[in-house]
Amino acid sequence: MENPENLYPVDEELQKFIDYRKRSGTIWRGVFLMSLFVAILVLIVLMLNIINDAFGLVALENEVDPHSLVTGYQENTMVSMPNTFASTNHAALAAVIQQNETGIGFVGHAHYQTNADDLRLIAVDGQFPTAETVADGSYPFARPLYIYTALDTLQSEPAVAGYFRFYLENANNSGGELGYFLADETLMADQINLIDTLAGGPQALDSLGGNLALSGSSSLYPLSRQMLLDFRQAGFGGDISIEQIGSEAGIEAFCRGDIQVLNASRPMTVAEAATCQRNRVNPVEIAVGLDALAIVSHPSLDFLESVSLKEMGQIFAAMNYWDEIDPSYPVEPIVRAVPGEGSGSLELLSGSMFSTIGLENLSGAAYAEIIRENLGRGRGRALERDQRFLAEGFIFDSQTAFNGACASAEPPTGCAQPARDRDNLLDLIEQEIIVPQIQQTWPLYDSIFNRQAIVAEASRKYPDAIVEFKSWLNPDFLVNPQSSEAELAGVRTAIWGTVMVVATTFLFSFPVGVGAAIYLEEYADSTKWYNKIIQTNISNLAGVPSIIYGMLGLTVFVRLLLPLTSGEMFGRVAEGTDPSGRTVISAGLTLGLLILPIIIINAQEALRAVPNSMRRAGMGLGATKWQTTWSHVLPAALPGILTGTILAMSRAVGETAPLIVVGASTVIRTDPTFFSRFTVLPIQIFQWTSRPQPEFQNLAAAAIIVLLLILLTLNASAVILRNRYSTSS
Amino acid sequence: MSDSNDSTNIAVQAKDVSVYYGDFRAVKNINLDVARNKITAFIGPSGCGKSTLLRAFNRMNDLIPISRMDGEIVYRGKNLYDADVDPVEVRRRIGMVFQKPNPFPKSIYENIAWGARINGYKGNMDELVEESLRSAAIWDEVKDKLDQSGLSLSGGQQQRLCIARTVAVKPEIILMDEPCSALDPIATLKIEELMRQLQEQYTIIIVTHNMQQAARSSDYTAFLNMDTTDRSGYMVEFSETSAMFTNPQNQQTEEYITGRFG
Ligand SMILES: Nc1ncnc2c1ncn2[C@@H]1O[C@H](COP(=O)(O)OP(=O)(O)O)[C@@H](O)[C@H]1O
Ligand SMILES: [Mg+2]
Repeated sequence: MENPENLYPVDEELQKFIDYRKRSGTIWRGVFLMSLFVAILVLIVLMLNIINDAFGLVALENEVDPHSLVTGYQENTMVSMPNTFASTNHAALAAVIQQNETGIGFVGHAHYQTNADDLRLIAVDGQFPTAETVADGSYPFARPLYIYTALDTLQSEPAVAGYFRFYLENANNSGGELGYFLADETLMADQINLIDTLAGGPQALDSLGGNLALSGSSSLYPLSRQMLLDFRQAGFGGDISIEQIGSEAGIEAFCRGDIQVLNASRPMTVAEAATCQRNRVNPVEIAVGLDALAIVSHPSLDFLESVSLKEMGQIFAAMNYWDEIDPSYPVEPIVRAVPGEGSGSLELLSGSMFSTIGLENLSGAAYAEIIRENLGRGRGRALERDQRFLAEGFIFDSQTAFNGACASAEPPTGCAQPARDRDNLLDLIEQEIIVPQIQQTWPLYDSIFNRQAIVAEASRKYPDAIVEFKSWLNPDFLVNPQSSEAELAGVRTAIWGTVMVVATTFLFSFPVGVGAAIYLEEYADSTKWYNKIIQTNISNLAGVPSIIYGMLGLTVFVRLLLPLTSGEMFGRVAEGTDPSGRTVISAGLTLGLLILPIIIINAQEALRAVPNSMRRAGMGLGATKWQTTWSHVLPAALPGILTGTILAMSRAVGETAPLIVVGASTVIRTDPTFFSRFTVLPIQIFQWTSRPQPEFQNLAAAAIIVLLLILLTLNASAVILRNRYSTSS
Repeated sequence: MSDSNDSTNIAVQAKDVSVYYGDFRAVKNINLDVARNKITAFIGPSGCGKSTLLRAFNRMNDLIPISRMDGEIVYRGKNLYDADVDPVEVRRRIGMVFQKPNPFPKSIYENIAWGARINGYKGNMDELVEESLRSAAIWDEVKDKLDQSGLSLSGGQQQRLCIARTVAVKPEIILMDEPCSALDPIATLKIEELMRQLQEQYTIIIVTHNMQQAARSSDYTAFLNMDTTDRSGYMVEFSETSAMFTNPQNQQTEEYITGRFG
């Protein structure tokens, strides 16, 4: 036999051999690192994907512009202030101001021009209305003026076409004198061409038959009237008439087909144009000049030179005496003359005067007022019964009707609740009146890197929409119940569902599972055949597909144990309704069965890891088996048991299939109870991802983040619990 | 269990005891009288069944599912293996200290108090804890840290804590299975000293590997050996320690105690 030392490599050979072993070690380490890297990469890609959907730009179109609610409210306030005269007739406004020493108000610039001697013009932020300040927009109260007629009228009544052409040719001559600001010459020429194309070439004025009847805006009244007079002067032989009823009323009448030629101090809105179309009135819109609203006072009110928009807000919509604006002003009531409701002038005024006031700046009383003005009566009454709008009195309901409802067998929730607070009212306005609609959504990546393109696309496709950044995961999303409106949908009911289902699961499976594990580990004789069978069965159950547990749950909990799981046994089923076993309890118990084997196996593993010396120590002192198990073995095993349990719970939180079988509902709007129908987060996510509208994909992504956060919390609490228990021993 | 005792000097008796693990007989036909308030040592080579025999005295072998026993352990005139005897009560009276110190992963105080509490102790717990720790000669070392974990002590301290724990429930007999094998010589001496003190109140049976220890600290010694034919342990010789070490009756005994064994 050789010298045994020679049987092992030496020197260089040894070095080589060691190097070889090190190399293979390095390769293995590389492989492990790679797999770790791949795993992390997959995780990151997954997370990025979710985050990409959960945040991003959206194009929001409101059914009602929130700012119009503010201006609408402010307009109401303005016209209903004390000592305030409101009229669509500017001559009347001018007269009121002339007659009151402390009077102040608005008239069209044309009206001011005619009464310049008796009125004092006040600058707005230092700017007087002039051709320049109106043209460059530095004077805020200026707007274009329009005349409208129906296409049919234009084509069938030569008088109208003739008048329009005459108007466009001559407005700039007379307009200046009347206090209007001149329209662009080329625009006027283009519009004359338009009339020619629509109604044929010009005809001699004296040959034009028919009459002319104008109505509408008071601001345009002086110019249109002058044009009518000049038109007759130039040879038109028919009857002429002109009325001032305000732009809004004018447009309304026009769209009904009641007005031949309409004066308007604002363009028709899209909605109004649609109404016209429905009535087969095809509006032809012609811009005839620019008008400015002048703010004027009685000549004796000489302390006011210039006012800011904010001061105007105070003068016209807040204070009642001049000295409240500035102590140096006289203690005299403010007498106001403002354009009447429904006039283009009032709209122009409020639009700029209150432009800095957002809906969120208003008071609760203002919100109640807005609700009164904008909410339908039926809906308003239903909401008022849910919870009152006002602490005292009613908006839609009446005291007697409300009292009656409260005395009935099923009183509405509003009877016992205090009135809605300001935030509640604001939310309500948003949901019931503004009703934001998402037109399109973009993922986060595009939102960041293609912002310009998105904004351009949105303004083309949805001119009225605002493009804003939206985090789909937001506080509202967490507290709102499920809804079919993506904008209003939230996961509160799903979170509650998940929490309650998982709580049931825990309460069922933890004691039963740990108990079974203790029996199997500490008491059962593992050499006995029946215990072996039980053990094998439990191990196999852990591998059974979850859908089978769903079927089991359906048969056992939903159907067989119906009286228990529906709450019928506890009197929890409302009379007249059929008891249903598709409840939180059934779901929790089903998931409990599903994770029971996992809990048992983990707990057994943990118990097995407790050294036997611990058991002997207890028994050696004369303790019973149970005392030893309870005081020493179980505490030592608890960290392991808890870890296993919480991992199992995590599985339960994410489970979908068995709950679908057990009968989870997809749309749950009210918080669940243990005996109510339910939904859980995974079901909610599943349902949202299967909807065609893209915004629900965003919601699903946000819900996934919530689900992941819940799982993370669960796992973190496992770590904390484990550390707590292993350090205390 | 009756309080009458046939011989006041005998604490417990083994009568023709054999212990099996499955089909394997680990010890056979042991007959042994353990004297009251004396220290009895079991010596013998590894695997000859000393621990097995010791465990037979407080039915600790019951915890090993495959073990079975023939013969009788008579304590206060009653066979401990009779059907009407509760092993929990047996262990309550005949306590045990293990080879590896195994304090509970709880505070020092709780290590002592737990056994007393589950056994229905009604006296002042603080006093009992102090008294037990004193009688285990560890009081001075731990009195300032009673709320610390028992596991924070050194090996020797842990073993004395385990002894204190056993003493606290006031058994009559204390079984010790190589209590010093995991300890350094100084800790070993301390435990031996302790055994001498405890002897006044308790009957002690100790398993040891250490000839000097047996010679130094026991009154009686039983020498066990393994039968070469069936590998089961049997008792070769049992006598007063002084006699056995000065004048062994058996050839094997002499070889073993003089270190010429095997
Ligand atoms: N729990 C057990 N299961 C099976 N055999 C055992 C067990 N404990 C001890 N034995 C066997 O019994 C014999 C005696 O063991 P033991 O009493 O520990 O001897 P000693 O303490 O003298 O070293 C040995 O052969 C050992 O293998
Ligand atoms: Mg041993």
